[in-house]
Amino acid sequence: MKIYDIHQPLPEELSQLPDEKFQVQVREHGFDEIGKSNSAGFYRDALRRLKQNKASVISFWIILTIILLAIIVPNVTGYTYTQQNVSGKNLPPKIPGLERIGIADGTMVLTNRKKDSLSNPKRFPEGSVLAVVKEYKANKVDVVDVKVDYYKYCKIDEGEYHWFGTDYLGRDILTRLFMGARVSLLIAFISVITNVVIGVIYGSVAGYYGGKVDMFLTHFAEVLDGLPYIVVTILFMLLFGSGMFSIILALTVTGWIGTARLTRAQFYRFKGREYVLAARTLGVPDRKLIFRHILPNSIGPLITRAMIAIPGAIFSESFLAYIGLGIKPPEPSIGTLLSVGQSVLLQYPYQTLFPAVLISVLMVAFNLFSNGLRDAMDPTLRGEEG
Amino acid sequence: MFKYILGRIGAMLLTLFLVMTLSFWIIRLMPMSIFENPEVSPEIQKKLEDRMHLHEPMAVQYFYFIEGIAVRGDFGTSVKIRPGLDVFEILSTRIPATVVLNAFSLILSIPLGILFGSWAALKRNKWADNIISFWIVICISVPSFVFASLLQYFLTFVWPLFPTLYNAQASNFGAQLYSMILPIIALSLNPIASIARYLRGELIETLSSDFMLLARTKGLTQGEATMKHAFRNSLVPIANTIIPMITGIMGGSLVIEKMFAVNGMGGLLIDSILAGDHFLTVALLIFYSAISLFTILVVDISYGIIDPRIRVGGRA
Amino acid sequence: MMTENSTILSVNDLRISFRTVNGVVQAVRGVSFDLKRGETVAIVGESGSGKSVTMKALMGILPPNAVIEEGSILYNDMDLTKADEKVMHEIRGKRIGLIFQDPLSALNPIMRVGKQITEVLRKRGLSSAEAKERAIELIRAVGIPDPERSYSAYPFQFSGGMRQRVVIAIALAGDPEILICDEPTTALDVTVQAKILDLINQIKEERGLSVIFITHDLGVVANMADRVNVMYAGRIVEAGTAEEIFFEPVHPYTWALLESMPDLQTSGRLQAIPGAPPNMIAPPPGDAFAPRSSYALKIDYEQEPPMFALSDTHIAATWLLHPKAPKLEMPASLKERIARMRKEAEKYV
Repeated sequence: MKIYDIHQPLPEELSQLPDEKFQVQVREHGFDEIGKSNSAGFYRDALRRLKQNKASVISFWIILTIILLAIIVPNVTGYTYTQQNVSGKNLPPKIPGLERIGIADGTMVLTNRKKDSLSNPKRFPEGSVLAVVKEYKANKVDVVDVKVDYYKYCKIDEGEYHWFGTDYLGRDILTRLFMGARVSLLIAFISVITNVVIGVIYGSVAGYYGGKVDMFLTHFAEVLDGLPYIVVTILFMLLFGSGMFSIILALTVTGWIGTARLTRAQFYRFKGREYVLAARTLGVPDRKLIFRHILPNSIGPLITRAMIAIPGAIFSESFLAYIGLGIKPPEPSIGTLLSVGQSVLLQYPYQTLFPAVLISVLMVAFNLFSNGLRDAMDPTLRGEEG
Repeated sequence: MFKYILGRIGAMLLTLFLVMTLSFWIIRLMPMSIFENPEVSPEIQKKLEDRMHLHEPMAVQYFYFIEGIAVRGDFGTSVKIRPGLDVFEILSTRIPATVVLNAFSLILSIPLGILFGSWAALKRNKWADNIISFWIVICISVPSFVFASLLQYFLTFVWPLFPTLYNAQASNFGAQLYSMILPIIALSLNPIASIARYLRGELIETLSSDFMLLARTKGLTQGEATMKHAFRNSLVPIANTIIPMITGIMGGSLVIEKMFAVNGMGGLLIDSILAGDHFLTVALLIFYSAISLFTILVVDISYGIIDPRIRVGGRA
Repeated sequence: MMTENSTILSVNDLRISFRTVNGVVQAVRGVSFDLKRGETVAIVGESGSGKSVTMKALMGILPPNAVIEEGSILYNDMDLTKADEKVMHEIRGKRIGLIFQDPLSALNPIMRVGKQITEVLRKRGLSSAEAKERAIELIRAVGIPDPERSYSAYPFQFSGGMRQRVVIAIALAGDPEILICDEPTTALDVTVQAKILDLINQIKEERGLSVIFITHDLGVVANMADRVNVMYAGRIVEAGTAEEIFFEPVHPYTWALLESMPDLQTSGRLQAIPGAPPNMIAPPPGDAFAPRSSYALKIDYEQEPPMFALSDTHIAATWLLHPKAPKLEMPASLKERIARMRKEAEKYV
């Protein structure tokens, strides 16, 4: 590094600098905006960070698509979700277009049929037999495994399609699946919103008043939280009986505790801040303090928590369906479809496949999205020293 | 430390007591009381009425109910599943299978979760981390019963490598265990991923902590510092995931047992819920609570032993 | 042979930047200084001035996203910026020891204090009995009461000051010749601060250490340092002996730092430096301090000031030293303060 002795003459490039450059020019404090931060800016930044997270953006669109499908599909398939069809039970998927390339073409392999019956038009209507897959003898009788057009086999009208097949009562699975998604999502959203509302109120009261009120409320929540979640949910489901409302209620029994804890912690963080104290000394009423000054600062973490809770609620719903405490038939939910499908998994795997894929995609998307949201709301998580 | 253990045991007993209280009120408040159910034979109804002391006031009934369970292990009588039989008798034959399944799942999950989690953390943002992180998201998101269906369909039907159902009558323990592999896997994927995710985050944070820097500035190699400082320190807070994981595994096993016909408490619980055999259901739930609370107690205490801040500091 | 006053460590035109999501952060932009055997050199600056990054570069513990763009760190004629991990491993702890800012997070919370010290000693080949004996000696040397019992205690059982003593004991365990202190007293109470500083001075004398003392607080430096480097926005803006920096400062940033220093006699309000350090992704052209300075010239916003030498030891990068610059003087309050400090200092000489 070059160092210039001030007692020596300076080189030309320094000594020739024009005089006017050495006028005093103090900047009027233009740095004030640096220190400031406002919440609108915070949410804008959070949104920007969220948009940078590709997985979250894709997940967001997937969730939106599934919600739209749940609204639209049950109305446009041409079937209702309860409409039964005795002759078209357990039909395999058949989708216009795709059927030509051999996927979802409504065919199925029937095993162990008497060879003679193939020529019986009552058993195998005209054109239903596509190919004999295997011929063998069982109990000295000639039997075959035969690939059939199952729609023709069941004498279903030409042009009738069940994209995802039908169930054991001949109901259209596509319609039921998205109707079920509607129910599952509703349960998830309503229960999470209820939990957030209860949790915020409970946590606000505990956090704002502090002291004995807080001690009592916190201990109560702690004891409740010690109860095994599944046991509590099952017990309350037994009490309430099955059904959508009961599920929401059962998921609310202990579901609010996390939010309450979070809100309480937020209160403790913010209630000591100068602006809250200032408002208080000015005689601003408690209610206004809570809603105007303290809660707005907790919105970010609350939204994140709520988003994280949604896949949990979807899971709980399908879990309850599995143990026979879910939605009352014939109402569908993703969980009931899954558990019904599971009982015929080896014969009709597609009946499990579609709900399984839907719930998996939904859960992955919600998890990825809420992870992205959490990171976006809390930049310190990835903050590296710079 | 002694105070800490005592506190934990106290909390566990209080919770169990609450579960019993809740159970009592739910049996008494349940719509369509079993006591006036025409499907239940008069002898059994008489037996249950005596057991519940129905002629006494509610508070006394409640006392007898708790006393019956806590002191005499009397959980009541089965109404539907095995009418007239003592609930505890039915239940006790089902405990071993559940315990074995859950224990294996827990034993498998912890080391595998730690392995994958630390692998991902040490190879942060490399391909190994990306693959593991991807799998973590999948395994955490997809419910265990969906995995169970997948495993059952592909590994027992399409490629029949394993028996479809659990075989309790198998000639030897090996064959019995073999038929339990799929349920164990189905049950373990989620906890493995939970541990891996938690450990990954924890380890990444620890690796960038000041005491890791100090460990390196005092002349330990990165490897030594990781083993001696980062690793052990990250393992301590894993208790935070292991506890919810235990409840998760126990819950998952309810469904998985049914799917693979494991003759454990899970299958029985579903059957008794569907049949409306309330005493049996409640007894099962109390047992579930007891087992999971006990496991949590063990984890809590062992972490009290590992973490000096609890052991020496007496912080509860 | 090394003479008493030979240079032990020499940093030359060091440039370090970080690759981050938001862009390249130029954390250190051409820093040079020497550390002579047995002396204490202070590096003073606000957080974000690049002083901690410089320290990490010396120890070879820069985070992976940091890049040394240019410059060298010469230690015994070896360039540490080019040294591989194996060489650095030999140097860390054994040649250069480090004391951290926050003693709570610097200690492993679940490992006994004694173990954290013996770990270093065992690495140097001592048997476990020797290591224990030596560790207890060290614990005693840093002034922790009841060394035998403290040996098997956990960090959370100590107070902040005692923890910092443990950290110092760990740094000494490797028997280093250079000790880097990174804000060693920032996290401590004022009363404890003085004791820790005394301890550092004492062990420096006893062991003939050379110390690099990093802090944001000029006040702490006063009784410690032989020479002081003032850093701002990744550059050294003024450097000199302690007397020169405290009694004859020329850079407006040094003035501001001196004014913000707490002092028992000052009656007026402490002058906080307005504004915040610049964003180092796009540092302002010219003198980076100009936007916050009450003595900024037009040229400060356009052209980087050259380094001027006032004496053999005193250098400063400010246009105010240019012959054409108006003769701006430090604020009167600071002048009074310096006069007071001089008097104070004379009492002790």
